[in-house]
Amino acid sequence: MIRRLAVVGLGMVLMAMTMAACGGDDDTVKAEDAWARTSAMMQDAGAVYVTLTGGETADSLVKAQAPTDIAAMTEIHETTMNDEGAMMMGEVPAIDVPAGTTVMLEPGGYHIMLMNLTAPLESGQEFDVVLTFETAGDVTVPVEVREQE
Amino acid sequence: MRLRAALGAVAISVLLLSACGGEEAEPAGIVRDPAPDLAALSLPDAANGNAEFAFKADPGRLLVVYFGYTSCPDVCPTTLADVRSALEDMGDDAQYVDLAMITVDPDRDDAERLTAYVQSFVPESHALRTDDPDALWAVAEPFGAFYEVETAADGTVEVGHTAFLYGIDDAGLLQLQWAFGTEPGDLRSDFTLLVNRAKENRE
Repeated sequence: MIRRLAVVGLGMVLMAMTMAACGGDDDTVKAEDAWARTSAMMQDAGAVYVTLTGGETADSLVKAQAPTDIAAMTEIHETTMNDEGAMMMGEVPAIDVPAGTTVMLEPGGYHIMLMNLTAPLESGQEFDVVLTFETAGDVTVPVEVREQE
Repeated sequence: MRLRAALGAVAISVLLLSACGGEEAEPAGIVRDPAPDLAALSLPDAANGNAEFAFKADPGRLLVVYFGYTSCPDVCPTTLADVRSALEDMGDDAQYVDLAMITVDPDRDDAERLTAYVQSFVPESHALRTDDPDALWAVAEPFGAFYEVETAADGTVEVGHTAFLYGIDDAGLLQLQWAFGTEPGDLRSDFTLLVNRAKENRE
């Protein structure tokens, strides 16, 4: 949780810097720094993490699609903790991205779940994920496969 | 109420005194009081021909236990990669830490799969699984661990589980547990603390 807050804090600073640097350009939602963890042996599910930054108006991520030669099925998931302290994971219909706000998809929170990987994800591998936003439409983002930092 | 406040104040000052007096730093992990005694529990180790594996570190060592499943895309690999980072940064002391993963999803995690999975994070780790739900629960309950595996109508399997790491000493006592998201640096310093205690106890 501390890590998440720190990352969000850092994200907000970066966002402020970005907005100051290129005001006016950010009219629609952005998706950046997408990565997926290198698969462990036998792991048949993966997760893509990405940083979403809202544009001038609020938008929401409603669909994600990885190539079917990477994973048979792609869903938007959220990890939450239930009352008994267990971590649960489930599909969510959408992730809201308020105007001018950074939303991190990161370990322990939201992620794009890759189900039934066709092959283990290997470090250095790259593939594109198409993110569909309610207003902005399809945004293609390159995903880098790497070890967790 | 006043008595409780006074007792609280005493407890805090005792804690402060012990923090000042001792050489050990305060751990980042959670201390369970009383510490669960796990010495009598065991599960088959699929990484070792299904030999019974007791929840007790070997003398002078630390045993780290995790409940999870291999189809887990987010929480389990995050935590196991954090353990790997912590061990890599521990230097020589890492050799005194053993990792055991217990699958909460034995229907899908067969012996070979579980072993390959956990050992791809930390070589020589133990892969604990049982097909007997009662035997699994008999181990999970004293840890305070909880899990559920549900198959939806469309065939997708949903798994929920407590995502703590548990640190067990050579008497089988649960010394510390770490919540999901504990920084690898904090894991490393706590692992080192518990390894040092184990070494001292052995001398």
